[in-house]
Amino acid sequence: MQLTTLSQPSLTTHLRALFVIARKDWKVFWRYPLNALSSVFQPIIWITPVYFMGKAFSTNGQAAGFAAYSGTGDYMSYILLGTVLTNFIMTVFWGMGYALKNDMDSGVLESNWLTPIPRLLILVGRTLTSILTTTITSATMLILAGLLFGFRPTGSTFAAILTAVPMLVGLYGFGFAFAGVVLLMREANTLVDVGSFLVQGFSGTNFPVQSLPYWLIPISLMLPLTYGLDAVRGFLLKTNTLLPIPAEIAILLFSMFVMLWIGAQVFHRVERRVRTLGTLGQH
Amino acid sequence: METTFIPRSLGQPGLLSDVRAFLAVVRREWIIFTRYPSWIIALFIWPLIFPMMYILTARALSGPDGSGLAVFIATTGATDYIGYIIVGTTVWMWQNIVLWDVGFALRNEQMRGTLESNWLTPTWRFSYLLGQTGPQIVTMAMFIGVTALEFGLLFGIRLNGSPWMLGLMMLAAIPAIYGLGFAFASLVITVKEANAFVFLIRGMVMIFCGITFPVAILPAWMQTFAKWLPQTYLIHGMRAAAFAKAGVKELLPDLIPLLSFGAFWLAVGYFTFLWMERRARKSGAIGQY
Repeated sequence: MQLTTLSQPSLTTHLRALFVIARKDWKVFWRYPLNALSSVFQPIIWITPVYFMGKAFSTNGQAAGFAAYSGTGDYMSYILLGTVLTNFIMTVFWGMGYALKNDMDSGVLESNWLTPIPRLLILVGRTLTSILTTTITSATMLILAGLLFGFRPTGSTFAAILTAVPMLVGLYGFGFAFAGVVLLMREANTLVDVGSFLVQGFSGTNFPVQSLPYWLIPISLMLPLTYGLDAVRGFLLKTNTLLPIPAEIAILLFSMFVMLWIGAQVFHRVERRVRTLGTLGQH
Repeated sequence: METTFIPRSLGQPGLLSDVRAFLAVVRREWIIFTRYPSWIIALFIWPLIFPMMYILTARALSGPDGSGLAVFIATTGATDYIGYIIVGTTVWMWQNIVLWDVGFALRNEQMRGTLESNWLTPTWRFSYLLGQTGPQIVTMAMFIGVTALEFGLLFGIRLNGSPWMLGLMMLAAIPAIYGLGFAFASLVITVKEANAFVFLIRGMVMIFCGITFPVAILPAWMQTFAKWLPQTYLIHGMRAAAFAKAGVKELLPDLIPLLSFGAFWLAVGYFTFLWMERRARKSGAIGQY
């Protein structure tokens, strides 16, 4: 006997589903305006101690020690750029893993799972609004932080943005795998915080990875994000890069496909396991 | 003749029942805490990675030849920048964790939909908050112990001063830090946008209290503001106790304001809770989120 389903999945229905998920998240985001405001100020708050700490290491506003590693004494532009990219890194981590945890807590995960939509599509949908809001809040943050601390890009913004695209797409692979782990562990905060913090740290969001202790440098070099951040800074701030920029872009493109494939595989396996155990709705 | 019917409650409020309610909350919180094993990861990784971000940035600012470090030593008087940063970041993490744990105690109940039913029980309502504090202090003590152990083993950080003086500073900080948490918990349940408030308060500690730099480097108006934050005295006192061999006499300028702030924040915390409780009963909005 052939079972027929009422749903008629197609590209249009998938796009509609994405739109509905994004619209729902958009409504929720603006429903709490203070949270929206804090996402502008939060990164500024995090880098303020670095600004003052940098002053304690500088003479006449110049961080000569920092320049010896990075090729620029303008450590605040270096860090601000890292902060903007970090906002997007966090968005992919939070957007998927944490969204699943929220759905678990609200008791809607199981019912969402029953809809005839690919699970990965649900995950991607949860990041659409956050990427848009992150773009808005990061631009506002950059303007404010530029006024407070100074932001002086000297290179090509367009090339830097183009370089960031494969890096962010590749991050979805990380996010898929991470969302799978959240499904299994049923706890997101620690995993998201620790995971994103470590990745950010080792990929050099706040400092050149050359300054890491030698035994930590291999970890940094294994992360595609390291090359993404490095190349973007190389384009925008003309800093010293680890490898020639074309080589870094090639690594980013290759790792983008690999990470997406691995992430999707991990997520599908874990999701199947969770469905077998029947623990999807538990939190 | 008109008679008044006074319904008799099944509850028998008294000191013993209050203690029992408090212990029940402590037990429940402990069960929830141990239910999610990722706390073990948090316990061992957070003390290391949060300060590490600032330590590694400081390392980069020092430069390969240490030229930046010489400037830092001249500015702060501290030869050990790792220890200097660890003290500041540990205090920040303490306040941050209290805000999330104690500050969200009531809000979490509200989100789960259990706050209203708990509120209807004939128990001492402040025990819901106090009960959160017990397991929180235990886990925080473990957290600080792990921090000391990890940085001692991995980075060779050694105390020059007395651990007793360090303990004294931390004990003196408990009323201020938890009092702020109590006040915060009550406000959050009324205003509801809890995250933004945590970010605001911990942000103030991060910017003004000198977690990675000396407060003296701040502009004058920021230094004045920093004097109104108890964490400024805690960080200064802990650095003096840990690395400058300060005794009680030397620590008094930090201890006195810290204890005064403690008394103030405990009172604010308790009265804010009473205000919130009255307001919640009048508006009937305690179950809404």
